[in-house]
Amino acid sequence: MFELIKNLTDKFGVSGNEEEIREFIKGEIKSKVDSIEVDALGNLIATKKGNGKKIMVAAHMDEIGVMATHIDEKGFIRFSNIGWVSQNYSLGQRVRFKNGTIGTVFFEEKLDDLKSLKLSNLYIDIGAKNSEEAQKKVNIGDTAAFCGPAELAGDMIISKALDDRSGCAVLIETIKNLPKTDNEIYFVFTVQEELGLRGAKTAAFRILPDFAIAVDVTLTGDTPDCKTMEVKCGMGPAIKIKDGSVVCHNDVRKLLTETAKKLNLPIQYEILERGGSDPGAIHLTAGGIPSGAISIPCRYTHSPSEMASISDIDNAVKLLKESLIG
Amino acid sequence: MDYKNVLKELVGIPAVSGFENVSGARIKSLMVGKCDEIMIDSFYNVIGLKKGNGDNRKKIMISAHYDEIGFLVKSIDDKGFIKLTSMGGFDPKILLAQEVLIHGTREIEGIIGAKPPHLLTPEETKTAVKLVDLSVDTGMEASEVKKIVSIGDIVTLKVPFLELQGGKVSTKSLDNRSGVAATIGIMNELNDKTLKNDIYFVATTQEEVGLRGAEVSSYNIDPDIAIVIDACHGDMPDCSKDFTYPLGKGPAIGIGPNLHKKLTKKLFDIAKRNGVLCQTDVEPGNTGTEAWAIQVSRSGVPTALISIPLRYMHTGTETLDIADIESSVKLVSLFLAALDDEMEETV
Repeated sequence: MFELIKNLTDKFGVSGNEEEIREFIKGEIKSKVDSIEVDALGNLIATKKGNGKKIMVAAHMDEIGVMATHIDEKGFIRFSNIGWVSQNYSLGQRVRFKNGTIGTVFFEEKLDDLKSLKLSNLYIDIGAKNSEEAQKKVNIGDTAAFCGPAELAGDMIISKALDDRSGCAVLIETIKNLPKTDNEIYFVFTVQEELGLRGAKTAAFRILPDFAIAVDVTLTGDTPDCKTMEVKCGMGPAIKIKDGSVVCHNDVRKLLTETAKKLNLPIQYEILERGGSDPGAIHLTAGGIPSGAISIPCRYTHSPSEMASISDIDNAVKLLKESLIG
Repeated sequence: MDYKNVLKELVGIPAVSGFENVSGARIKSLMVGKCDEIMIDSFYNVIGLKKGNGDNRKKIMISAHYDEIGFLVKSIDDKGFIKLTSMGGFDPKILLAQEVLIHGTREIEGIIGAKPPHLLTPEETKTAVKLVDLSVDTGMEASEVKKIVSIGDIVTLKVPFLELQGGKVSTKSLDNRSGVAATIGIMNELNDKTLKNDIYFVATTQEEVGLRGAEVSSYNIDPDIAIVIDACHGDMPDCSKDFTYPLGKGPAIGIGPNLHKKLTKKLFDIAKRNGVLCQTDVEPGNTGTEAWAIQVSRSGVPTALISIPLRYMHTGTETLDIADIESSVKLVSLFLAALDDEMEETV
C-alpha cells in the first residue's frame, strides 16, 4: 500500500491538469476492468460490467496547487491558488511545475506582521536571474504542485496530496481485488474536486448510477488543542454522516455500517462541519442519487505534510470491496 | 379544516434536514384521501398527485418544505455531556436553557445547560455564547448515554404548542410546517373538484441545508409552473419594516427576478378579484427559498412565491396567525382552478 500511495502522490495533478496522474492510474487498472474511458472534463471512468445495480465509486485525483499569474523583471513569480491553499502552510515550501521546474515559496520580507500574511505577499523563486530566464521555464498560467514526498512514520504515512490520492489507492486496490459481482460498477477518478466538485458532477450525470460511494479524506480531532471532532487517525475509516455539501443517504450509510459490522472492521462516524466532497455534487444530479462516503481520517489536510494511517486505508479497501459485493 | 390541529400534528413530526427518512410516511398519511397518487422519492420528498382531465394538461408543482432546522450529536464527552452540530441556522443565544429531545435508539429528554450568572466572567456577560460552548445534559453517565445515543443521532427542540390570543399559535418548526399545512389545506379544498391540469403537491426535504429536496423534485417532476409556499418574517418590535410583514394581513406574494412576472401578476389579480387578503414581498435577488432552485431546474420553470408571515423565525417560539394559512389556501386554490381557463395569459 505504501508503495502505491508513494507513486500516486508523486504524480502531478493540480486541478485542471490531471493528465499525469490519470495516465498512471490508467496503467495500474486497465487490465483489471472491462472498459476504461476519459470524459470531456478528464474524469477517468473504469467499468466492471454486470447486470445488477449501477454503482458509482468516486475518488478525486486532482490536488491543490498554484498558478503563475505574473513574472516580474527579476524573475520572481507571483501566483494564485488552485483550490484552498493556506498562505501559512505555503511559506517556505517548495513547488514543482508540471515541466519539473522547482521553486521555493517565500514572503516579502518587509511584512512585519505575519498574521496579515496573504497569498499576494508570497512569491515563487525558481532561481532565475531575470524575467527572460524565468520565462524559459515558466509562463503565466502554468500550474505547480507543492512538494512533499511520501514517507512512512510508523503506521502513518506523511505526504502531499493524500487528499485524495489515498482515496485513489483505495479504489485501485479494490479494482485489483474485487471478485466478479452482479453489479455494474463504475470506478471514477474525478477531476476538479478542489475547484468545486466539478468532475463528479458531470461523471454522475453520464453514469446515472443507482447509488454512489465516494472515498476521500476527512479532518480529524486528534491533534493538540484542536477543534472538537470525533474522528481520529488509526481508529478505522469513517462513514460520512454529513459535510457542508451533503447529508449522506441513510440507505448508503446503512450499507456501509452493516458491512463494517459483518467484517468486524473498526469504523467511526464523520460529521464534518466545513467543506464539501464529491457526493455533494453527485447526490443532486438528475433528480437525485443516493450517495454516501468512506472517509480516511487525515491530519494537516491541504498542507504538503498530510498524515493518514495505513491501517485505516487498508480497512477502507476491505469495507469498500465488501460493500460492492453485497 | 382545523388548521390548528393539522399544525399541531405536523410540528410533532421530527424531520431534521437530511434525516426525513423517519418522517416521510407520517407526512404521506396526512395526504391520504386528498389526491390520486402519493409517492415518496429517494430524497423522501412526499409527492401527492391530483390528476387533471384536460387535453393539453400542464404540470403544476406546489412546493412546501417539511424539513426543520435541528441538530446532530457531534460528540459525547467522558462525563456524558453531548456536543451538537446544527443542521440549518440557529442563533446559539436562543438555545441556552432549552429542553431538547435526542432521537437515539429511543427518544430521551435532555436540557441545554446555561452557566449560572454567578459563574460568568465579565467577558462572558458581554459576548454571545457559541454552539461549541453548549452541552446537552441527559442526567446520565457517559456509559449509559452511549448505550442509547450515537454520533449522528438527531436532536430537536422540545417546546409546547401554544395557542395565543387572536388566532395566533406559537411553537417550533412553523417554518415551514405552516406551508405544509397550507398545501394539505389546498388539497382538501380541491378534493371534490376535477381540474384540467395535473397538480403535484410536494412536501420537500433538505430545504434548510440548501434547497436540495426541491432541486431534485423539480427535476423529476419537470413542471410547467411552480408555486412555492414558505414563511417570511412577521412584524416584530425593533425590526425594519422593509423585511417584515404584519400578521393577519394575508400571505406575502413575492415580486422580483427570482419570480415569474405574469404568474405573479395572476396571483395578485386573483387575490383582488376574490377579496383574498395578501401583501407584497419585494425580493430583489435570491429569495432564499425553493423558488431559487426550482426556477433554474432543467430549462427553467415559471415560479411564484407565497410566504406566510412568521415572527421569531428559527426559534422554538415561531408565531403566526392561522388566518394567514387560511388566506394562502384560498388564494392558491382559486389560482389553480382559474388556470383551467386562464393558462395562456398566465405563463
